[in-house]
Amino acid sequence: MTQSLSVSQALALAKGSLEQINVTIIGEISELSDKPGYKAVYFTLSDSDAALSCLMWRNVQRQLDVELRRGMLVEASGAFTVYAAKGRMNFDVKKLRLAGEGELRLKVARLAKKLEAQGLMDPARKRPLPPYPTSIALITSPRGKAIHDVIRTLRRRYPLAEVLVVGVPVEGATAPKQLIEGLRVAQDSSAEVILLVRGGGSYEDLMPFNDEELAQAIAASALPVVTGIGHEPDNSIADMVADLRASTPTAAAERVVPDKSELAASLARMEASFTRSLTAMFETHALRLDGAAQRLQQAFPLKFERDRQRIASLASRLATLGSKSLAPFTAFVELNAARLHDLSPLSALARGYSISYDQDGHVVSSVDAVKSDQQLSVRLVDGSLACTIKEKRHEKTLDISQATYPEENHV
Amino acid sequence: MSEQEEQLKSPADELSFREASEELEAIVRELEGNQLELEESLKRYERGIGLLRILRGRLTEAQQKLTVLLGELEPESDDVIDTTLS
Repeated sequence: MTQSLSVSQALALAKGSLEQINVTIIGEISELSDKPGYKAVYFTLSDSDAALSCLMWRNVQRQLDVELRRGMLVEASGAFTVYAAKGRMNFDVKKLRLAGEGELRLKVARLAKKLEAQGLMDPARKRPLPPYPTSIALITSPRGKAIHDVIRTLRRRYPLAEVLVVGVPVEGATAPKQLIEGLRVAQDSSAEVILLVRGGGSYEDLMPFNDEELAQAIAASALPVVTGIGHEPDNSIADMVADLRASTPTAAAERVVPDKSELAASLARMEASFTRSLTAMFETHALRLDGAAQRLQQAFPLKFERDRQRIASLASRLATLGSKSLAPFTAFVELNAARLHDLSPLSALARGYSISYDQDGHVVSSVDAVKSDQQLSVRLVDGSLACTIKEKRHEKTLDISQATYPEENHV
Repeated sequence: MSEQEEQLKSPADELSFREASEELEAIVRELEGNQLELEESLKRYERGIGLLRILRGRLTEAQQKLTVLLGELEPESDDVIDTTLS
């Protein structure tokens, strides 16, 4: 029979044993409690089958170079312990670092920070790409899908560009050195732009593109470098220092060349544009000529035209006026002509009257104007008579106002 | 452009695609600017049409040239699968 222990004694015994077990555990942080008032950070490390309560004293936490987050894969070193008040086992973490990919990511993040501080990612360093490259260096693995994706894309979009293939291994320990050699070869060629690509892979697979020397070589490249490494969310150091970063090899290929069909469309637009400009110019000139012709026509004969119109108007007014004023005149003349005819002595002679003239040709209108035996010439309608006055007789003077004409043909 | 410059201008088919494109764009801008004499515009238009013809010809006739500087390019292994999938 063993002696009975109090609860406290029993837990103290367990604690003493557990604290002998110093281990390093890999697990994912699944729960996390980091409250300012507490003396420790509490979290749960788990794998698919088990979970372990952990604590980390503040003095340990302050020495960490990472911020704890849920989902993080970490390597925690420490010892088991017991919290007597609750009878609960805890793992007291003395050291912690990111595990596996998490550690790699941390290294990469540190390198990124360092290179950024050196100004290698400065947007001002990014160079423009040649718009119509005649020669493109393609640095990638000569095996696999990526290189063919790129070649096919370049051929489809812009077959005018020559592709210079620089085949290098893109995985493994020697990959960074060989990628750097590839960059050198590309810069010695006739290429105007460099495509640095790699198909998708795990984070570890892509690690050569997070190499510091490669980053420096890319930054120092005499030619602009376009990267297309892995898939969309992957972002490597090479991507960050490149002149242009595309998400995939195919996307990178699309970025270095213009598109044939877009070019054809743009050519068609330019053709339309300058044809339109020229047509517009012709129209402008034609309009200007028309305008000039019109102005010339207006300017020169304008004065004459005005005169012509004035004259025409005058003539027309005159014509109207003339015909108006002539009518009564004509009537007047016609009337008077008739009266003149009536008044003509010849018409009186026709009616039987005669006119006597003395030798001097004066009309004799009174018996007092002649003497006996004087010669007179008496004019009749059809001739004249030479007469000698035999005798004169005074008679009563004829009153014309009361006279009755022998013929009633007055007007 | 003076007559001298006109004579210095290279024949359109000796220009690179980039040079020809840039010259064509410049011509379009000049014509759109509407600042040229009619005769000069006609000359530009003629040159533009020549450049267009050459650029179009190059686009349609170009054959991709492939040169391997380093490594050994393997033919696409999964060509057949690729076409069925796509």
